[in-house]
Amino acid sequence: MSEISKSVRLGLTMLSAAVAIMAAAPGVALAASPRAEEGKMILVARQDPGTLDYTKSNLTALRLWIPANVVEPLVYFNKDGSVSPGVAESWTISDDRLTYAFTIREAKFSNGEPVTVEDVIYSLNTMKASPVTQNSSAYQAVESIEKTDDRTVTITLSRPSQGFWRGMGSTAALIQPEASADTIATNPIGSGPYKLVSYTSNSSFEFTANENYWGDAPSVKDVTVRIITDGTAGLNALEAGEVDSLPVITIDLWEQLTARGLDDKFSMVTYPQIGEPTYAVINQKLDPELRQALAMTLDRQAYNDAFGAAWGAENTCTFALPNQPWYAPESPETCPYPYDIEKAMALVAEKGYASTPLEYASLSDVPDLSLPADIMVPTMQAAGFNMTRNAIDLARYSQLIFQGRPPQFDVTVMSGDADPTQFACPDPNAAGWSTYCSAEYTQALSDADEALTDEDYLALMQKSADILRKDAVIVPIIAKKGVGLFEPDLKGFVEPRVAVAIEFAPLHW
Amino acid sequence: MPVYIARKLAFFLLAVIAASIAIFLLIRGAGGNVAAIILGKDATAEAINALSQQYGLDRPMVVQYFDWIGNLLQGDLGRSFRTNEAVTDLVVSRLSISIPLCVSGLLLGLLIAIPAGTYSALNSDKPIGALIALLSQVGIAVPVFWAGILLSLLFGVRLGWLPTGGWTNWDTNFWGAVRSLVLPVISLGVILGASLTRYVRSAVLDVMNQDYVRTARATGMTRMKALLQVGLRNAALPIATVVGLQIAELIGGTVIIETVFSLPGLSRMILANVAAREVIVVQSTVMLIIIFVMFINLLVDLLYGALDPRVRLTR
Repeated sequence: MSEISKSVRLGLTMLSAAVAIMAAAPGVALAASPRAEEGKMILVARQDPGTLDYTKSNLTALRLWIPANVVEPLVYFNKDGSVSPGVAESWTISDDRLTYAFTIREAKFSNGEPVTVEDVIYSLNTMKASPVTQNSSAYQAVESIEKTDDRTVTITLSRPSQGFWRGMGSTAALIQPEASADTIATNPIGSGPYKLVSYTSNSSFEFTANENYWGDAPSVKDVTVRIITDGTAGLNALEAGEVDSLPVITIDLWEQLTARGLDDKFSMVTYPQIGEPTYAVINQKLDPELRQALAMTLDRQAYNDAFGAAWGAENTCTFALPNQPWYAPESPETCPYPYDIEKAMALVAEKGYASTPLEYASLSDVPDLSLPADIMVPTMQAAGFNMTRNAIDLARYSQLIFQGRPPQFDVTVMSGDADPTQFACPDPNAAGWSTYCSAEYTQALSDADEALTDEDYLALMQKSADILRKDAVIVPIIAKKGVGLFEPDLKGFVEPRVAVAIEFAPLHW
Repeated sequence: MPVYIARKLAFFLLAVIAASIAIFLLIRGAGGNVAAIILGKDATAEAINALSQQYGLDRPMVVQYFDWIGNLLQGDLGRSFRTNEAVTDLVVSRLSISIPLCVSGLLLGLLIAIPAGTYSALNSDKPIGALIALLSQVGIAVPVFWAGILLSLLFGVRLGWLPTGGWTNWDTNFWGAVRSLVLPVISLGVILGASLTRYVRSAVLDVMNQDYVRTARATGMTRMKALLQVGLRNAALPIATVVGLQIAELIGGTVIIETVFSLPGLSRMILANVAAREVIVVQSTVMLIIIFVMFINLLVDLLYGALDPRVRLTR
């Protein structure tokens, strides 16, 4: 017995020694990245896209790396609202905003083939027919896409459309060569500053500067994007000096980031474009007063606190990103149903909502979305709602919620950077996952799309946001910002110009 | 012996057929489809249905099953819906990581377990024997992912001796590839070694208490000599069975290790494809693994039969 106790003591001593060595061993000193002199950089991606076919896939994991680096849109919309040339070197817009003529630049794709008007027409038609709504919706008012001459494409609209013009600077207008369409899923070709050398799923992307690029050659010639799905492993790699940046740090790592002091060791950027509004969706089939009572249980500050980084998210009742002009933070004016658990409890008791069984569908494999559910569901139950949580994976979620007709849930939480037009639903019989079929809202968005001036557009978008928040179907909670960590010597980061794309070309040592 | 072999082969074939049906039904029964995942939440039902139709997912289940099996028997594992890459190419590209990882992990586990387990059994009445038994218990209790994270933190972040994760291709940099595998192999091997040590210790202890070993010792042999000359063959039987079973566990362990160390191996590929409901990729790859594991177990059974004639007579 005494021998066994001795052995136990010895074992414990050895374990303690191992832990002590680990704690005491000095960390690797931060030095200039060894990649700086070699003209290279290594970034980290948290997700593997599985496919690079952006015409069919809308996954953020893809849109971060391919647009703006490999494949370019016709134009770029800058942070200040100005528009820069892309594949189109110039353009004219008719006064009635019905005719757009794009002059295509004399340039080559990365495979050495010239960019032709035919390629542009093919690309735009492909996106017009794309099953991805965010691509095809830009073309709702498009009547024709025609070749005017060897360098000009003319697009005619049936009505003015803000969505069309903004779409020409988004993924909806990415230009690819028709001849390479068959290999787009593994090797997209474009006219951007970089070309993709290789893509190994769940491992890495390798990019190198495109020698045929029409603009200035990028400062960093070779770029590797390592796919590290485990967040802690990604932070470890950064701390160990193996990689130069995690340009997109998801919300589940914010607390760890500050706890490890990485915000002091590295340059931290926060930017709105890549962030996402997080919002509750309450099924429209529920009684409006029941929806309002549910909305009163949403404690925005509690969700914000749970992510452990006040600099990363703003409380809001507006479906928008903070860089969109109609965005407004949480305030008595913008929140018709502020957090009020006592009032919610009183309504539950008064209206007898406790007898209504409700199902909360939560996405189990996305930490950003399971954490809000951890807070929401107990609060709703505490208010007296008869709420059951159903935690499911993405594939099942997409079947029950996105594909379901009608969607199988009462409350859920979602996160996404898409336009507020995604909730428009002209036909209630076609109610989809948002379950928000409001003729008034759809009309307001349609009016905004047809606005001839930016001022009219903004006013009508604000009107749409008001309608959305009053109906308590889509209930915004927080607007997350994009957060990135960069090796201090790696400078030049610019906020995304094409959807959420991280641009390599402006980065330099 | 021929009857024994025939019986085992028949069982092997039946198990493979049953596994193919189970895999097919499980992945289909999990719900969701690749078209909906590719297109995202904004896609219309029509677009999802059209893409599903393009992939042939709208056909009756029986037709899809026999279509898959028919192609499989002709050596065609199918193609990825998302990228149109051949599953064979996907699997082959991942094996250059998974095979060295599994084989090295298993070898390391055996290198730890056989001497440690044997030594612990031979010294079971001494503190060192108890200590080894204790450490093996601790090792079994340590989750593989935790071991991986600790090793990564110590040797990668703190000491900077080895990469914290990631993969360098063999043809790009051979030593880089070796370095990428060191920590994952140690994580797998140490944890595997801990559980194997227990089995080896039990097997050796069991053998040492058998009458024939006592008789051998009565003739003047030392404990070690008796073990090596008389006991080893008998102790090898349960150990061989356990190693066969551990191979299946090893494949499970690589899922976690490949994720912790960001290795693009076969297990991680399967996991990603399950999440994306790439049914053909998952079905074909999992089938290959099942056939492999069953084949190893078949070999173990045949080896068992060869080593112990009594086994051949049992039903």
